[in-house]
Amino acid sequence: MEKFLKNITWENFKKFNTKYSYIVSFVLLLTLATIINPRYFSYRNLSTLALQASIKGIITLGMSLVIIAGLIDLSVGSMVALTSGLGVVVLNQTGNVWIMLAFCAAFGTVLGVINGLLVTKGKIAPFIVTLATMSAYRSIIVQLGQGGPFNVDSEILDSFRMIAAGEVFGIPNLAIIFIVITIIISLLMSKTKFGRYVYAVGSNEQAARLTGINVDLVKTLTFTITGLLSGITAFLLASRLTSITAPNAGQSFELDAIAAVAIGGIAMTGGRGVIAGSFLGAIMLQMIEGILIIAKIPPFLNGLVKGVIIIFTVLLQHRSVLKRKKRLKTEATKAAATE
Amino acid sequence: MHIEMKGITKYFGAVKALENVNFTINSHEIHGLMGENGAGKSTLMNILGGAIQPTEGEIYINGDLIEKMTISLATENGIRFIHQELNLVNDLKVYENLYLGEELTNKIGILDKKQMIENSKDVLEKLKLDIDPSMPVSELETSRKQLVEIAKALLFESELIIMDEPTTALTNTEIEILFNIMRKLRDEGISIIFISHKMPELFSICDKYTVLRDGLFIESGNFKDIDEHIATSLLVGDRVIDTEWIKEDKREEVILSARSLTCAGFFNDVSFDLHKGEVLAITGLHGDGRSELSEALFGARHLTSGKIFLKGNELKLTNIGSVMKSGIGMIPRNRKERSIIKDLSVVNNFSVAYFVAKHKKAFINDKKEIKRFNRSRQIIDIKTDDPNNYITSLSGGNQQKVIVSRWLELDSDVYIMDNPTQGIDVGTKFEIYRLINELSQRGKSLIIFSAEFPEIHRIADRCFVMYKGHINAELNRDQLTERNVMYYATGSNTEGINGKIS
Repeated sequence: MEKFLKNITWENFKKFNTKYSYIVSFVLLLTLATIINPRYFSYRNLSTLALQASIKGIITLGMSLVIIAGLIDLSVGSMVALTSGLGVVVLNQTGNVWIMLAFCAAFGTVLGVINGLLVTKGKIAPFIVTLATMSAYRSIIVQLGQGGPFNVDSEILDSFRMIAAGEVFGIPNLAIIFIVITIIISLLMSKTKFGRYVYAVGSNEQAARLTGINVDLVKTLTFTITGLLSGITAFLLASRLTSITAPNAGQSFELDAIAAVAIGGIAMTGGRGVIAGSFLGAIMLQMIEGILIIAKIPPFLNGLVKGVIIIFTVLLQHRSVLKRKKRLKTEATKAAATE
Repeated sequence: MHIEMKGITKYFGAVKALENVNFTINSHEIHGLMGENGAGKSTLMNILGGAIQPTEGEIYINGDLIEKMTISLATENGIRFIHQELNLVNDLKVYENLYLGEELTNKIGILDKKQMIENSKDVLEKLKLDIDPSMPVSELETSRKQLVEIAKALLFESELIIMDEPTTALTNTEIEILFNIMRKLRDEGISIIFISHKMPELFSICDKYTVLRDGLFIESGNFKDIDEHIATSLLVGDRVIDTEWIKEDKREEVILSARSLTCAGFFNDVSFDLHKGEVLAITGLHGDGRSELSEALFGARHLTSGKIFLKGNELKLTNIGSVMKSGIGMIPRNRKERSIIKDLSVVNNFSVAYFVAKHKKAFINDKKEIKRFNRSRQIIDIKTDDPNNYITSLSGGNQQKVIVSRWLELDSDVYIMDNPTQGIDVGTKFEIYRLINELSQRGKSLIIFSAEFPEIHRIADRCFVMYKGHINAELNRDQLTERNVMYYATGSNTEGINGKIS
């Protein structure tokens, strides 16, 4: 114990913070919330938090993959809206929840593949591709719904609603699903070759290519997985809302996901960060929204707060990157001069 | 214009790039500046052009001491620099590039396009170039871009033009036009400094020469007093190189054959055989197509035509991963850009290639990964406190050792190494030489791309010298002298050396 206390030094804390910054900020935020509202740290409250964070959280997981690979996907919200609206139609036609889930997963995957192929084979910047598909997918579902909502038929409404609203041993289904998917994606990124390749491509694409990694395939797959996760999110969102309004569903999911990824300590320049970080990032974003309500900050300013959060965290990331770059640069000039 | 550079010394950190170099040029003079890669030519010219400041030394223009040379002061004095790399903005038009930063404007500050286009047309005509000044630069071929770069220097009144290897991308006809213009400019009284590695060009166009070697001033004189053999000796000096390993002819079993490899614009009709256990060096000077050849052998650059056979089977070059699986490994040049994955740890950097080519399963096991890494450290010792630290925490030499281990882990039959000792300390260099020797003893075949003669001499069984995109000479062990390498790398054996190029 004494030894343990001895090890708690400012230096060690700094080391811990560079590696696990998301845990440090999570603890800080939790403390802040508890100070504002002493009853914050209750089981009921935390499980509600997990429930609320789940839907955007699953999107955040996909976004982290894409960002770690050095890319960006702005179309997630529109993919959710399009898949969700069509998913409700499929459900109403078939009356079978499983068919709807299969449809959503498959359809989302296809949308992701389209993004991926446009980026890799079409050689268009991911920002441009997904900005275009963001607008396109949204427009399709608004047209199909004629601006109105897609409502789940009343005969299946109650059983369908229970998917998102149900609980197991007092833990909300949505939270369980979110945690399970987090574990799967986390294992994918840390324990498989594919995960390693995603980091390599995001860190140094040319070196990755010259080491034999099929860079185009890796990029396409990250978009595909994000598409699949958007499809699953679409399914869950439909169950939670039971009515999908085409112009609003999944609105600004991309902003929330990017903000959560940034808070989660994933480098916006690619190559660095862990899935556990974006998991906590999604929860922290939800906590911040909660704190804003308690603090009586008008909800119209939510966007402002998130924008500031993104810029602020990226600035912090930059500072540490700059320090590293400076060091590398002196090394490089030395190396170049000796040549 | 009379320029005198006196006692120029330049340090980059602790490294000496130039020591006490003198250089003089007069009007009515084309002056050839010669030296091997890294001799200090570019540093000296950058000092003259004001781009970098000398640690010591003085510059006199027409007898006046220049206190502090800057780029704008050099421009004011009519010094124009044509750089080796193209400095054109692709998206701008030809005339916009010509006038970039020095645009002509009318009284109220609006661009005088008409005048600029008019002037551009004149200068392009002077260069016998059929280029429309209003054409975007991106539509021009490389050789024409280089000519536009030259036109940029001719557009303004200049007293001294510095040309740093201006002919690398030009065809013979274009070179001839350029030379004619250079002669005309000289007759008008302008001074020209011409940097080139190509002996025939130097002998045909230059009046005087200055030779630098390892940052030192060696000699100045008139080209008419020397021949290409003397010039080569001046470049190389009398360096004594010791050999550590006895090299023998190992030309029995052919492992890899290249047949008529061509990559348009870079190299042409390259064919050779690589034998089991052989260390083949490929050398040459900047712009000889060597780097592109190294990439093509690994499937990293698309061949226009030609085939590569590995142990008698044609190699599919479409995908680097499959080339690796067939048994070829490659250590690329420029470690920082092409090898180091900066956000991954030492051990993760080490195992990337293994995962691509050897690891069949989708899942990876951290413990086994560390075990493999520790095993490889018995072959090359990598100094690191913790293999889970970022690779950027290591010194350059240790980083390169990680990269070398990365490829050794594949146990390939053929290793291609492009400049494998770039930017690393002497100790690590020798460890890599030792390793190359061991690999060849174990029956591995290696192709080493290098521009450093001492290195080649130390490791190679055989050496190809490239010049203008083809293998200009094949040197056996007993023909492998620095003089020979330089002779063929500068193309001294080709094109009427004693006459003019015409």
